[in-house]
Amino acid sequence: MAECHPVGFRWVMEAKRRGATIIHVDPRFTRTSAVSDLHVPIRAGSDIAFLGGIVNYILENERHFVDYVVNYTNAPALIDDDFRDTEDLDGLFSGWDAEKGQYDISSWSYKGTDVAPAAGQREIFSGEPHSERGTTAGAEKFDFSLQDPACVFQILKRHYSRYTPQVVEETCGIPKDLFLKVAETLCSNSGRDRTSAFCYAVGWTQHSVGVQYIRTAAIIQLLLGNIGRPGGGILALRGHASIQGSTDIPTLYNLLPGYLPMPKATFDKTFEDYVKFNESKSGWWAEFPKYIVSLLKAWFGDAATFQNGWCYEYLPNLTGDHSHMTTVADMADGAIKGYFVMGENPTVGSMHGALHRKGMRELDWLVVRDFAPTETAEFWRDAPEIQRGEVRTEDIKTEVFMFPAAAHTEKDGAFTNTQRMLQWHHKAIEPPGDCRSELHFVYHLGLRLKKLYEDSMDPKDRPLLDLTWDYPTKGPHQEPDAEAVLREINGYKVDSGEVVEGFTDLKSDGSTACGCWIYSGVYKDGVNQAARRKPGREQSWVASEWGWAWPHNRRILYNRASADPEGKPWSERKKYVWWDAKEGKWTGEDDPDFIPDRPPSYRPEEGAEGTATISGIDPFLMQGDGKGWIYAPNGLLDGPLPTHYEPQESICENPLYGQQCNPARMEWKRADNPYHRAHGDPRFPYVITTYRLTEHHTAGGMTRWLSWLSELQPEMFCEVSPELAAENGLSNGGWATITTARGEIEARVLVTRRIPPLKIRGMIVHQIGLPYHWGSRGLVKGDAANELISFVADPNVSIQESKALTGNIEAGRKSSGRRVVTSGRPVEEAVDQTSRDKPAAAQRPAGSHGVEAGKSQEGEQS
Amino acid sequence: MTEVSSGTGDGRWIDPSMGMLIGEAADQKVPEGRTERGHSEGAAPLPTWDREPEARRSDDITYYDLPVLKEPVWMWVVPAYFYVGGLAGAAAVLGAVAQGSSSSRRLVNRCRWTATGAIVAGTGLLIYDLGRKERFLNMLRVFRRTSPMSVGSWVLAASGGANSSAAVLAGTDGLLRSLGDLSGAGAGLLGMPLAGYTAVLLSNSAVPAWKEARKTLPFLFVSSAINAAASLLDLMELDDDEARVVKRFGTAGRAAELLSGVMVEREIAGIERTARAYKEGVAGSLWRGGESLAVTSLILGVLPGHSRLKRFATGVTGSAAAAAAKFAVFHAGKASARDPKATFESQRSRAAH
Amino acid sequence: MGTGFFTDTTVCIGCKACEVACKEWNQLPDDGMSFTAMSYDNTGDLSASTWRHVAFIERPVALSEQQTGLGNFSWLLMSDVCKHCKSAGCLENCPTGAIVRTEFDSVYVQPDICNGCGYCVVGCPFGVIDRREDDGRAWKCTLCYDRQKDGMEPACAKACPTDSIQFGDLDELRDKARRRVEQLHAGGVEEAYLYGVDEADQPGTDGLNAFFLLVDKPEVYNLPPEPVAPRKYAAPAWASVAAAGVAMALAAVAAVAGSGRQ
Repeated sequence: MAECHPVGFRWVMEAKRRGATIIHVDPRFTRTSAVSDLHVPIRAGSDIAFLGGIVNYILENERHFVDYVVNYTNAPALIDDDFRDTEDLDGLFSGWDAEKGQYDISSWSYKGTDVAPAAGQREIFSGEPHSERGTTAGAEKFDFSLQDPACVFQILKRHYSRYTPQVVEETCGIPKDLFLKVAETLCSNSGRDRTSAFCYAVGWTQHSVGVQYIRTAAIIQLLLGNIGRPGGGILALRGHASIQGSTDIPTLYNLLPGYLPMPKATFDKTFEDYVKFNESKSGWWAEFPKYIVSLLKAWFGDAATFQNGWCYEYLPNLTGDHSHMTTVADMADGAIKGYFVMGENPTVGSMHGALHRKGMRELDWLVVRDFAPTETAEFWRDAPEIQRGEVRTEDIKTEVFMFPAAAHTEKDGAFTNTQRMLQWHHKAIEPPGDCRSELHFVYHLGLRLKKLYEDSMDPKDRPLLDLTWDYPTKGPHQEPDAEAVLREINGYKVDSGEVVEGFTDLKSDGSTACGCWIYSGVYKDGVNQAARRKPGREQSWVASEWGWAWPHNRRILYNRASADPEGKPWSERKKYVWWDAKEGKWTGEDDPDFIPDRPPSYRPEEGAEGTATISGIDPFLMQGDGKGWIYAPNGLLDGPLPTHYEPQESICENPLYGQQCNPARMEWKRADNPYHRAHGDPRFPYVITTYRLTEHHTAGGMTRWLSWLSELQPEMFCEVSPELAAENGLSNGGWATITTARGEIEARVLVTRRIPPLKIRGMIVHQIGLPYHWGSRGLVKGDAANELISFVADPNVSIQESKALTGNIEAGRKSSGRRVVTSGRPVEEAVDQTSRDKPAAAQRPAGSHGVEAGKSQEGEQS
Repeated sequence: MTEVSSGTGDGRWIDPSMGMLIGEAADQKVPEGRTERGHSEGAAPLPTWDREPEARRSDDITYYDLPVLKEPVWMWVVPAYFYVGGLAGAAAVLGAVAQGSSSSRRLVNRCRWTATGAIVAGTGLLIYDLGRKERFLNMLRVFRRTSPMSVGSWVLAASGGANSSAAVLAGTDGLLRSLGDLSGAGAGLLGMPLAGYTAVLLSNSAVPAWKEARKTLPFLFVSSAINAAASLLDLMELDDDEARVVKRFGTAGRAAELLSGVMVEREIAGIERTARAYKEGVAGSLWRGGESLAVTSLILGVLPGHSRLKRFATGVTGSAAAAAAKFAVFHAGKASARDPKATFESQRSRAAH
Repeated sequence: MGTGFFTDTTVCIGCKACEVACKEWNQLPDDGMSFTAMSYDNTGDLSASTWRHVAFIERPVALSEQQTGLGNFSWLLMSDVCKHCKSAGCLENCPTGAIVRTEFDSVYVQPDICNGCGYCVVGCPFGVIDRREDDGRAWKCTLCYDRQKDGMEPACAKACPTDSIQFGDLDELRDKARRRVEQLHAGGVEEAYLYGVDEADQPGTDGLNAFFLLVDKPEVYNLPPEPVAPRKYAAPAWASVAAAGVAMALAAVAAVAGSGRQ
């Protein structure tokens, strides 16, 4: 966190000054470790075993927060009798559908009922919507003594019973006593009087089982009662200033603003269908119609009427997986004509840069908007394969448009940070030359497109023509007024144009318009709430008047959990939000994240619907059952409970199960995307992990062109232990070549004890650390680490596995003999793939992702 | 679009058409054409550390062997100035003393002109070493008694005035001659600090090899100055009487130079790495070479006989010895400043005393 | 009186924001792009164009109160800067008066007066000030004299995310620093101490206006263990010059004695 989020880390150091214990778990001893109380080196890709070990420690020693767990989580819920755990099936859950290559999740559900998840895979199931979803109010059968073998608590206990300190040591390479110290520190710092927080970043997410990493932390935090309370929580540290914002108002292909799902072509055929499949009959998502109608009113204005389903059918529909890697693979197969790249440098920053460039070579046109001519904009000029002479610039037919972009100091707008807080930034200076903001680009592109189609009578052009696109502009470049956009995001009453106060004002009758329901209130009273900068010392310690946090300016989500079931704070020390019986409402330091006047004693009547189903002890009101989900009966594609799977490429067999890897992972079995053996590949004996340095920003577009940052980290380097250096003849300051089946890169060597070899079941595991900031352009150049990484992904969110893979390292600079797989002869022979899956899961259909679904590809190796 | 279009390539990467260059160091000069990758400038490029970052013993601590101190930025002209400045001082002293006796007037004149010439040359050398030569007059902008360089600048300036007026007035008679002698006497008085202040200038520093020799270094510098002056005079045509004066003066200087060299060695003997700076490398060679030359010159000087050749050989070896001493001390200082352990050791040993 | 820095190395995260903020504010050029393989330090030292420098020390010694799976190991991070000594070698050596003490008690080089004589360079016992070869003048940290003039804190302190660099009134800073050491000692970090906090602590410099909290010997951070302003030991050298001068005069008298009578 100190490495990549130094500004946020100031508060960690502030906490440390006040006595907090800082634990850092990382394969490397980083700048964070340097100031931590406890540093735990771990084998990259083994975190679920480590965290599962903590779950087991909590349960074995009965350290869970009983009142919290019984009342606020689904631990007492009974699960369907047909459910089978990975303990029963050697690494698979019940319901594996070998034909489709995915789980049928019906056996995972609560006994006798089904429930809607707050987030996750609400919409993607195999081909058809889960018809009963959201019809009832959560689990119907409970055992509040937590003793029933079918209850979540007992299932959890069985699931993690083998995740002992011994197994943690053998899987993660963490000595038993060090592990026990972490577990004990965490437990003793949790409870009524104390809370602990988890912070994570892409070290957890970028795995083929990444979502479940975070799920495991969520289980720990729910067991210890650390969610919805001050000092608790799980904080996702974002890689850019507004990555949170870019999921709230998404740049993701499968979401509409405010986490409303993107319509599916297969079944969300009409507005009624779409609402039916996405509205929950219980919990807060019962409000769903209000949000989608207000969104459609914001987008299509007067054209959106009740009669035409609020122009729902104007929305694009998903025909399949259009996530990043799928799209790039489709590009490489010539199925995609054009590509917009805005503020991103995928040939350096994303996995398998060579495959990205191969994809871009097949495009008709490419638009890049960035500060500098990045490697992506100039992939045709001096990419590695062009330097090696394998591809000639004159053979690339792609037309590339490079647009210089304005920096954040050159435009108005908001950043949304990890706390969901929006902070407005004002333009300090006009952007120079042809540089323009994204807002300017998109707005004027829209205007031109509208102009282009203004005479069209074709019904397919109606969405474009009916789109509301009338922001006021200012200045010499006709820059759209960003506050006008913020106002639309906030929402307003259609008749009067008056801004709404918050999402509770939104209606499903078309009388309100709102660009993003969770942001509703950010322009409350016609004031830009995100621009508030009242210093912390001039207000309460929660500092509610600094910026604005969604939803409804709440600084801690689900904060009803900071009070006990009766509505009293768990302790004086940790009091935050409580029930004021005299006033008959919730009150406290923060805006209560609950129905304001719902007393703790409220229980829904039989047959209650909508928000009336939320009982007085349901803090997690976005869930259909209002409880924190220790066990996820649905919403996830790879299991209701996190399970340790090895990365796609590992140095060892899965010590816990016969199933080596996440059975539901996404693979791209292509000749240009070869995988190593599942484990113990003799050609690639070392673990590779990638990361960022403080001195550079992600793929370097913002930093490698700046001398003051470039001089601080002027070259690509790799970090290796003295032991690995001795084994391979590497010398500090010298050169090394790192290879995988995808490609090879060279790097300077930094020999350091900060990346220690680990001992796992008698085997010494060496890890190689690779920062990934450099490319072929800029003031400082170097090879990009991501050339080494394959296309393989977590099934839930399609994120790549770049934090744990295998590779080789040798002394010296690149040889000329080897080539990247996308442009020269395939590097390696076919490798046996079967050992990744149990026979039951091995017959996964090839290419089951993307528009090319089911199509067998040339060079396929399965 | 080329890479440099987004900046000036001067290491600041600020396009002056967009950004204002008004920061404290905005006018700091950088070399032209530094946009090529790897082109380092400013501070010398750092060496690549070829050991493990933590490969060190607890009693052998340095920060990657990087120096603590900045190496003196002075170039060869500075020790060359030490030589000519000392020469001027000693010549002025000899001239002043000689004018008060019945000895040769020609010798007095020679001393005055020698001193004047040496001061002019020395001033030129000093200006040549300045980073901003056009600002040489700033040396006389203030008088700062804590700064031996400031004190020395004033001494040098005054010496220049005294010696040159004495020299100009040397051929006159009457009042002017008396005025000349007064100037000569003043030059003689100034000659004493002029010959020795440069030793304080060096020892008034953080450089181990200089500061640790601060008590004896002035003796070495002054005796080397005597040697330098006498040796230069030895190269000139002298009558017997003059030659005897010069021989005595030179012999005293050479003997003293050898003696004070030993004193310097003894002063720093307890401080191993500082002493090493005088024994190894360029400094060590110069130091030993200077000693041999001084011995040679001393012996040649006292050998019987009045041949011109003998005096010439004495003068050449003596001059070389005097210059070598100054260059040796200069380079020993540079070497010790580069050695972080010399710095640590010198400070730790001081604290222990 | 006066303002200065208290740099608490125990909370430094080595982010180098101070280095960058300093270069950006003062518009200093880069020092060239050279990979040194000295841990994460690629700028090495303070120089004419690097006025803040972060040191990275990989140390085979554990920190008290820190436990790591690496055993005896710790990574010390420290942001170094000009110390603005009470007795400043550079200032005292400067022959031109280019280096002055400001109203904020800081030591400041006036670039329009400096003639590049280089004498400050040898006068600094910390190796801070340096002459830039292409520029010919000596440069170092100004304690953001221009920012202080406008009532702002120096750029490095402003940018420091963890308050490792604290700027303020020196008396207050010293109190703060002493309390911090007490707090660390109470927490078991016995090795914490202040470097150059006042005259008693560092008589050679009469105390530093930019002082540090360290957890290992000064040498580890490339700091001099017992720095002394050169002026303080100049007296014996002057005495020797006087003695040597007199001896020279006597030698001249002896040389001249008896001449001309023949």
